[in-house]
Amino acid sequence: MTIKIWKFFDREELYECYQCARCTGSCPAMEVTAALGPRGTILKCLNLGHEAVVQDEKVWFCCTCNVCDDRCPQQIPISDLLVALRNSAARRGNVPGRLLLSLELLAKTGRTMIVHQLDEMRAHHGLAPLPPAPVDEVRAILKRAGLEEVLDF
Amino acid sequence: MKYALYLGCAIPIKYPGFEAATRLVCERLGIELVDDLPFSCCPPPTGLKMVHYDSWLALAARNLCLAEEAGLDLLTLCSGCVNTLKEANQALKHSDAKRRRVNKILEAHNRKFNGAIEVTHILDVLYQDSVVDKLIKLMAREIPLRVGCHYGCHYFRPPQMMYPNELSEAESYVPVRMDHLLSIIGVEPTEYSRKFLCCGSPLGANVDTEAGYAIVAQKLHYIRQRNIQALSVICPSCFEQFDMGQIALSRKQKDLSKIPTFYLTQLIGLALGFSPKELGLDVHRVKAKRLLESIDVA
Amino acid sequence: MSEKTLPKAPRPQMNDLRIGVYVCHCGKNISGTVRCEEVARYAQGLPGVVLARDSLYTCSEPGQEQIKGDIKAHDLNRVVVASCTPRLHEPTFRAACESAGLNPYLLEMANIREHCSWVHLHDKDAATEKAKDLVAMAVSRAGRLAPQTEVTVSVMRKAMVIGGGVAGIQAALDLADAGYKVYLVERSGSIGGRMAQIDKTFPTMDCSICILAPKMSEAGRHPNIELLTLSEVTGVQGHIGNFHVRVLKKARYVTSECTSCADCISVCPQLAPDEFNAGLSIRRGIYIPFAQAVPSTFMIDMNICLNNQGIVACDRCFQACSKKCIDFADRDQELILDVGTIVVATGVDVYDPTSLTELGYGKFPNVITTLEFERLINAGGPSSGELIRPSDRERPKRVAFLQCIGSRSKRSNPYCSNVCCMNTIKDALLIKEHWPDTEITVYYVDIRAFGKGFEDLFQRARREGVTFIRGIPGEIIEDLATDDLTLLGENTLLGTPYRSTVDMVILSVGIKPRQDSELLQRLLNLATDTDGFYMEAHPKLKPVDTTTGGVFIAGAAEGPKDIKDSVTQASAAASRANILMSKGEVKIPAITAGIDPDKCTACGLCARVCPYHAIVGGKEEGLYRVIAAACQGCGACVPECRFGAIDQTHFTESQIVEQIDAALAGDPHKKILAFACNWCSYAGADFAGVSRIQYPHNVRIIRTMCSARVSPAWIERAFTKGAGAVLVSGCHPADCHYNNANQNTARRVERFWRRMEKLGINRDRLRLAWISAAEGAQFAKVIREMEAGLKTIKPAEIENAAKKLFREANKKSDAT
Repeated sequence: MTIKIWKFFDREELYECYQCARCTGSCPAMEVTAALGPRGTILKCLNLGHEAVVQDEKVWFCCTCNVCDDRCPQQIPISDLLVALRNSAARRGNVPGRLLLSLELLAKTGRTMIVHQLDEMRAHHGLAPLPPAPVDEVRAILKRAGLEEVLDF
Repeated sequence: MKYALYLGCAIPIKYPGFEAATRLVCERLGIELVDDLPFSCCPPPTGLKMVHYDSWLALAARNLCLAEEAGLDLLTLCSGCVNTLKEANQALKHSDAKRRRVNKILEAHNRKFNGAIEVTHILDVLYQDSVVDKLIKLMAREIPLRVGCHYGCHYFRPPQMMYPNELSEAESYVPVRMDHLLSIIGVEPTEYSRKFLCCGSPLGANVDTEAGYAIVAQKLHYIRQRNIQALSVICPSCFEQFDMGQIALSRKQKDLSKIPTFYLTQLIGLALGFSPKELGLDVHRVKAKRLLESIDVA
Repeated sequence: MSEKTLPKAPRPQMNDLRIGVYVCHCGKNISGTVRCEEVARYAQGLPGVVLARDSLYTCSEPGQEQIKGDIKAHDLNRVVVASCTPRLHEPTFRAACESAGLNPYLLEMANIREHCSWVHLHDKDAATEKAKDLVAMAVSRAGRLAPQTEVTVSVMRKAMVIGGGVAGIQAALDLADAGYKVYLVERSGSIGGRMAQIDKTFPTMDCSICILAPKMSEAGRHPNIELLTLSEVTGVQGHIGNFHVRVLKKARYVTSECTSCADCISVCPQLAPDEFNAGLSIRRGIYIPFAQAVPSTFMIDMNICLNNQGIVACDRCFQACSKKCIDFADRDQELILDVGTIVVATGVDVYDPTSLTELGYGKFPNVITTLEFERLINAGGPSSGELIRPSDRERPKRVAFLQCIGSRSKRSNPYCSNVCCMNTIKDALLIKEHWPDTEITVYYVDIRAFGKGFEDLFQRARREGVTFIRGIPGEIIEDLATDDLTLLGENTLLGTPYRSTVDMVILSVGIKPRQDSELLQRLLNLATDTDGFYMEAHPKLKPVDTTTGGVFIAGAAEGPKDIKDSVTQASAAASRANILMSKGEVKIPAITAGIDPDKCTACGLCARVCPYHAIVGGKEEGLYRVIAAACQGCGACVPECRFGAIDQTHFTESQIVEQIDAALAGDPHKKILAFACNWCSYAGADFAGVSRIQYPHNVRIIRTMCSARVSPAWIERAFTKGAGAVLVSGCHPADCHYNNANQNTARRVERFWRRMEKLGINRDRLRLAWISAAEGAQFAKVIREMEAGLKTIKPAEIENAAKKLFREANKKSDAT
């Protein structure tokens, strides 16, 4: 199933962008990777269509720091657009491997982190063992919400 | 003052020292924590939300329901958790469609989102006047260090969602509460360039560890410029970037001086007279021992 | 003072009516959508119509001749023109009627262009049917029209200019040269305004103060100009031709004998930031705003003077003044000035970039604004014209300009500030001229060099080595050691990030409406556009008139503009005012209210709602009456009268009821009946048409002067006739053209809602909407929403509600 991006993000907002690039000017991911940057992402959506963006692995080069939202003089909810695009990318199988791994762990344990000898470590800090998360309920909820569209678990 | 304590994943599993410090500080300051609720992962705004919004919203809603059932506001210790739970809470309160969709999923487990509680962060809880009054009364020592605060993007961005009241008058909002709070315990909160730059954690975690460290390296550059002695954070992911990040960066650049990083309640805990060991400082990768000895804290 | 009683205008017998209908094609503007011949044929069959024609351009000379000829040949006694909005050509056709001997008030127009063909471009059938309805409504109303005579009011040959910037100075000089007495009211201590602060002007690079100072002194010594500085308008009464303006003239504490010798300055112990130098320097408590100030009289800033409590604690300036010009006993004065016309030239404020924290203005000393820069490089400025940066007073070698700061932003000002691009280019060239080795980079989004000579200047700047980079920095970082600034951004043309370090950053800040512009807006009944600037009466054809007769606008108060445009507009405004005053009289439209003394019970409710206190009388007299010269014709009083004793000329109860009935003659349950006020909502609907914003075709608009004229009885009639929905629309609260008369609208609609609720009628079928003349899209949106709501209502429900209302109304009339 392909997701409808414009359900998440009002397409009209794209036309508010006049490409001033204040967003990319502050984008930390732009400084250290070949990210598309918010400005580039919006321009590509407008000129090439969003398919061109969601097929590109660079759509994931992002800190999700939302500073672009902060800077945008037109108050375009850029972070909403990025969520929509990445959700759409994920349904096309475009997801970074590490991210998938952490989600598999979430589906398996109800948490996104796992360490050896957790109880001992917590005891070292005078803390009781951490009760396990209610995995069955979590899995059931994730299934009903449709996570299987992007992840087998 | 009573909250449902939401630990999340990273703190109880990776950094239980923060949990220990928070429990001690809250107990001393009369903040009651209820923590027998079967929460799951929040889930993170940088992870599941990016991949599958509906699943993210449903799971977050479940966590909110647990607090609702207990009739308590939710206290989080992590910028990521507070971002997810605040946004989900608002999205579900304001959108009938989303609430209907999510409640349909949750009804199988006899849960229903009603929008009856608020979500808050430990910094905002400690920042309340009554807590600050108590802190001043119970303070055992001052912490005279030059500390740089790092808030973590998800704690305050986007401000129109996280802190709409602060934004209503101005065109933009940047947080100040940690700086104010720390100045109460004798800390000299020190400004530095690019203070509100991201720590790089999500980029490092999802895409490229090195790229994530490159961002934190930049922050550290500006932090060193101001002779900052220690860092204070309110998020385990940010902490990892600064703590582990400095170790990783120093492998490449041997002569780097390393700056210890504290979780906020560890610094407050020191001021309240707890020992570094009680507060879990012994397991930090960048050791604070020498620095603390220099101000007679052992 | 003429008093009006209600003219008795019974509907003429049908066989007395001889109506001519003219359906205009407006080229293809109407006929492209509406089948005009069909509409004309339809009109031919309407009662009272003796002839109906369609023509290519009815407003053309041949078109008008046709009407004139027909009036004579066919003995027409009513004319209906179905064409564009009456706001455009009503005067044209009225004149045509008049020249053929027909009273101009016997003309009626149907707006089948802005309200029909342009907004239903894709549905010819529906547009044609709607046009027929609109014509039928106009024909019905025409049958009730009565001839009117307009009252003539004299225009006083004195003018007031509010604001002493370059626009105000120009307007004052033009009017004074034309021979009128002019009061030039300026808030600060000197005239000169923003232009006096600027170093050079673009594109000619003239020294700003050098070309302005002669005009300032001319205004200062002109025998016809009375200069009122430190003065503010606090109240306005009266109307076109006869305004009574209250002016608060604040104490200066220095008499006009002052020779500006400056002996007093050095002895004053008090200091304050110098406003004229944008706070970059310090002035004393006694000071003159700037060297070329007019009047060249010193003044005391009582906010910081040690004597501000009225006790003389310090008299050093008094002692130092050899001419004894210091007068601590000086007091504020209130003046009442009578003038015939007013020119508003209040200028603009400058955007304060402090809240854009990422740019560090206010925190990093070397980040300054363009206005501060103007003072920095001005020979009369704080550094005597030397280019220095604030942190170390060294000359910056690398300078960056950032464009669009505070402009084109929903967070601050959504519009383009118009002057910043050229101002920056001029500033960059000034630096290059004096210090050619300076590296200058301009970070921009779009360079807007649209005026005469602008593009040349832009190209010259590029040739002289100014670098233009497309992409505004997202952040500025200050180097702690050097105070240098690093800009982080993206060069969008190269698609690469940049990180460049400069010595000084100049923020090219936008301009915005005066913070307190609302005050004059209220006093003068002005309208403002969505950006907050004063609005012109028509954006193309009445660019310096306002919606208030006798009040004109000039300069940046109307919208961001440069010096040349401000001066042009000022002369235009002066000329428009001159036309009124040289004629010496003006005709007032015959739309005033009148009271039938036989029906009046002297209850006084009408007098209470009149926004102009134009209704006088009382219990002792046994009646109330309308003072025609004071009545502005809003009609707010008419629905207030429970005895039907008041009516409004040319917008009579019977005329509007005819329109309602005609509009709802066929398929009423499918229709939305909209009442729209002339100034905002009707104009907003016109604007939707001009903008070709499409909306559902089932709306029928009836124009009143003010929404407060809309009687609950009309709403009731519409619903009992089976109307699907009713819209009452007016100016936004506080923007009302009749002194907030529209608060009555809200009150009456709310009352009607309660009545609907009581009767179990869906209250959503009556909508109240505030729509300004600039909000065409909003008008369309409201209609779309109402149409969507109407779709959910079943005809049976409408019929049922109509019966309920009808029964209740009858019960009420039985009871009385």
